[in-house]
Amino acid sequence: MSGLIPLTVRELRKWYRNPVFFIVGLLQPIFWIALFGSAFDITKLFSGIPKGAAVLPFGNAPNYITFIVGGILTTTSLFTALFSGTSLIFDRRLGNLGRFLVSPIRRSSIVFSKIVSTTIRILVQAVILVGAALLIPNGLKLVHGISAPDIFIIAAALIMIAFSFSSLFSIIAIRLKKQETIFGIINLINLPLIFASYALFPAALMASWLANVAKYNPVSWSSEAIRTVILNGNLSPSQFHSVMLDLLYLFLLSVFMIILTIVLSEKEIRD
Amino acid sequence: MEESEYILETENLVKTYPGGIKAVQGINLRIKKGQIYGFLGPNGAGKSTTIKMLSTSIKPTSGTAKIMGYDIVKDSMNVRRIIGVVPQDLTTDEDLKGIENIQMVARFYDIPAREARKRAEELLALVDLSDFGNKYVSSYSGGMRKRLELVVGLVHNPKVLFLDEPTLGLDVQTRAKMWDYIKKIRDELGVTIILTSHYLEEVDSLADIISIIDHGKIIVTGTSDELKSNLKGDIIQIEFATEAEAKKFGEYENKIDVSYPKETEARLKVKDADYELPEIMKYLVNNNIKPLKFSVHKPSLDQVFLEYTGREIREEEGGDVRKMAMNMRRLRR
Repeated sequence: MSGLIPLTVRELRKWYRNPVFFIVGLLQPIFWIALFGSAFDITKLFSGIPKGAAVLPFGNAPNYITFIVGGILTTTSLFTALFSGTSLIFDRRLGNLGRFLVSPIRRSSIVFSKIVSTTIRILVQAVILVGAALLIPNGLKLVHGISAPDIFIIAAALIMIAFSFSSLFSIIAIRLKKQETIFGIINLINLPLIFASYALFPAALMASWLANVAKYNPVSWSSEAIRTVILNGNLSPSQFHSVMLDLLYLFLLSVFMIILTIVLSEKEIRD
Repeated sequence: MEESEYILETENLVKTYPGGIKAVQGINLRIKKGQIYGFLGPNGAGKSTTIKMLSTSIKPTSGTAKIMGYDIVKDSMNVRRIIGVVPQDLTTDEDLKGIENIQMVARFYDIPAREARKRAEELLALVDLSDFGNKYVSSYSGGMRKRLELVVGLVHNPKVLFLDEPTLGLDVQTRAKMWDYIKKIRDELGVTIILTSHYLEEVDSLADIISIIDHGKIIVTGTSDELKSNLKGDIIQIEFATEAEAKKFGEYENKIDVSYPKETEARLKVKDADYELPEIMKYLVNNNIKPLKFSVHKPSLDQVFLEYTGREIREEEGGDVRKMAMNMRRLRR
């Protein structure tokens, strides 16, 4: 994979040197958490119900922000992943791609540099987002604390979902010449990906058909895995099982996307 | 591997784009080491497509090409290691510094950092960009960006350098400077250079061997002098004071081709004016003819192009208009 490191360095340089780009990327998750998490405090709907009298659809979440933090981490990664696609198209339009294609590097390393750099960006955003969620009043509450294995699970879920989404948009962009097309595509698929998932609402609140569809949505896998870890201290065997299953699905998806990216980029990428 | 006297050889190279556009229709080349080889042709003639195939950025539809024995399709990675490319489009990243662009590309070739730095400094000095290596490329002028492209294309010490329209969009002065840099590269680095251009003066002043290419085919190949001498020859034009004198001159024997565009003007098509002129002078003096005006027209590549393609070289821009407009905009800044 010669070429991957210098190309990734290039991507990251372009990112942190562009102040607007950088700050906007950091503000976006903060807005999400502050506005979405606070504006829709759906737990208030159930405030009349005496504690412990009924099983709340939000499980043991102390507030809505704590409930959706996993979902928002996943959703913002979906938006940031779009950059890996658009920047590939820009490289083609501006001529940079012409240089890469005549250099002795794997063609897939051109695409993977986008995926890896976008994944790094998503992780930086995630740290900021969690920080912001902890700081705001009535924000994220880690009732049971957080352990090293918890952090490992959250990071693994995020890396895999970020990687998969970045691959998705890079693959779409492999032969595209206009960025308008990719914006159209993301508008089309983002809405179903976000709302047909457990990112923002629990399955119990959804129409049953939607809840069934949401089971197969990668956004649900990552949101649920992160949520389960955040809401519970020591995982029960069944919780542990479902988290591991979510991670397994994410892993299989990532492997599939890596193979697809390699095959398509080696064969199809062109100026 | 058997040593060939040619650094680059192609066999019936063909490229047909989807939609049946026959960009290149069977090109055979033999290029010797150390030469500057020029493709001359109008836009859309297939020059860039040929360069893109040879530099492995697109695959030929059929035919083969070898660079230093490496097949451009089967051994494309090895080909990429020994060739340098300066495509028509600017390829450097505006958001990075000049030196960062060079170092990034050097890493593509696994050149150690220290060596890359040394090489970058040498090459920047060669194209008079030493003071700008640490500046962002976005601050470069059009000519500087093209020079940086040369550096990037040369950073790994290639044996063959492809230059696709190296001075497209540059003003006349900057173009002349580019030519000096290209000659310097050949002389000082010993690189074989293959360039395309639709500027006649450019190939005429740079290339040792010229191929005129049109509609995806090579029409004729030779040195600039050879191509010109293939024309019917030089033209000598003589203007006389009177019709009588002009008539007198008409007796000049052994003359191949004399025509009279005007009654007092003779137009001679001769093989080589350099040898013919003294003869004519002798005849004029011996016969006491005093011409008013003498002019010699040596054939130009313009005429060569007209002769072989039946039309004048088109100057209008074609190809990928959007990309070209974008490039022009960036060059003009």
